[in-house]
Amino acid sequence: MLDDDLSVHIREREGVAIIDLIGDVTTFAEEKITGAYNEVSRRGARNILLNFRQNDYIKSAGIAILIGVVTEVNRRNQRLAVSGLSQHFQKIFRMVGLAQYIDIYQDEDEAIRGLTAAMT
Amino acid sequence: MRGVTETLRSRLWQAHTAEWWRTMANVSHDADPVERVVELHLPSRLGYEKVAMDAAASVARRMGFSADRVDALRTALAEAVTNAIEHGNAHNADTRVLVILTVRPSELVVSVADQGFKPIDKAQIAPAPSIEDSFSRADKGGWGIWLIRELMDEVEFTTAPTGGNQVRMVIHLEKQS
Repeated sequence: MLDDDLSVHIREREGVAIIDLIGDVTTFAEEKITGAYNEVSRRGARNILLNFRQNDYIKSAGIAILIGVVTEVNRRNQRLAVSGLSQHFQKIFRMVGLAQYIDIYQDEDEAIRGLTAAMT
Repeated sequence: MRGVTETLRSRLWQAHTAEWWRTMANVSHDADPVERVVELHLPSRLGYEKVAMDAAASVARRMGFSADRVDALRTALAEAVTNAIEHGNAHNADTRVLVILTVRPSELVVSVADQGFKPIDKAQIAPAPSIEDSFSRADKGGWGIWLIRELMDEVEFTTAPTGGNQVRMVIHLEKQS
C-alpha cells in the first residue's frame, strides 16, 4: 500500500510512442519514467505521449522528473504530450510552466488525433 | 561496554522523543476548546504521507470544501509531510511526523512538525522557481515549498520549541474556486 505504486508500459499507436504511467508519480518513479523515455527515444520516437492513468498523486519530485524529460525532448527536437491528467494536475502543470512545453489532452484518443494531425 | 553505550544512547533518545511529544502536545492543545482537532503521528517513511492526505481530505470534504480545494490540500500536505520525512527527520525510523488538523468554522488549519534533524532550507522558502532555469540545472527539484504556498491560503514556516521544523497551512472555506 505504501510502497512504489507506479507501473510503466511502452507501446505504439499510429506512429506515437505511448508511455502508460499507471499509479502514483513520486520520488521512486525517476528510473522507470526516464528509462521508458530513453527506450522509446532509442527506438527513434519523434512523438511521445505520457498517458497518465489512475494517478491519485503526482508529487513535486514527479514534476522534477517530467522537467528532466522535457529537457531531453527539447534537446532532441521531439514532441511530447500528456493525457489522462486530472483537472487538478492539469492546473499544476500550467502553474509550473510545463504546459508551455507539453501538449495537454484529456484522453489518449484526443492526444493521438492531435499528434498525428501535427505530423502531417 | 558497547552494549551499555547503546542502551544509554537509546534511553537518551527515548527521553528526547518523549519531551518532543510533550512539547508538541502543548503546542497543539492550546487551541480554543470548541475547535475540533485531529492528530496523526506518522512514521518517517515515505508512503505514510498518503495516510495524512486521506485523513485531511476526509475532514475537508466533511467541512464542505469543493473537490478542487480538497485536491489542493492533498497536494500541499503531501509536500509538507514528505519534506518532514526526508529532510526534517532524515528518514530516521525512530522519529515521527506530527500532523494536526484543526477544524474551525471557516477554515481548516493543518500543521506539520518534524523532529528537526535538519533545519528547513530558508533559501528554498522565498523564491519562485522557474522552469527555464530548471532546464539548465542538474537538480530540477525545489518545487515542493512553492507548491504549498501556491495552493494554500496561508502558509507559515517556523521552528518548534524543540527545534524541529513546523509548517502551518490554512485553507479558507470561503475561498471556493
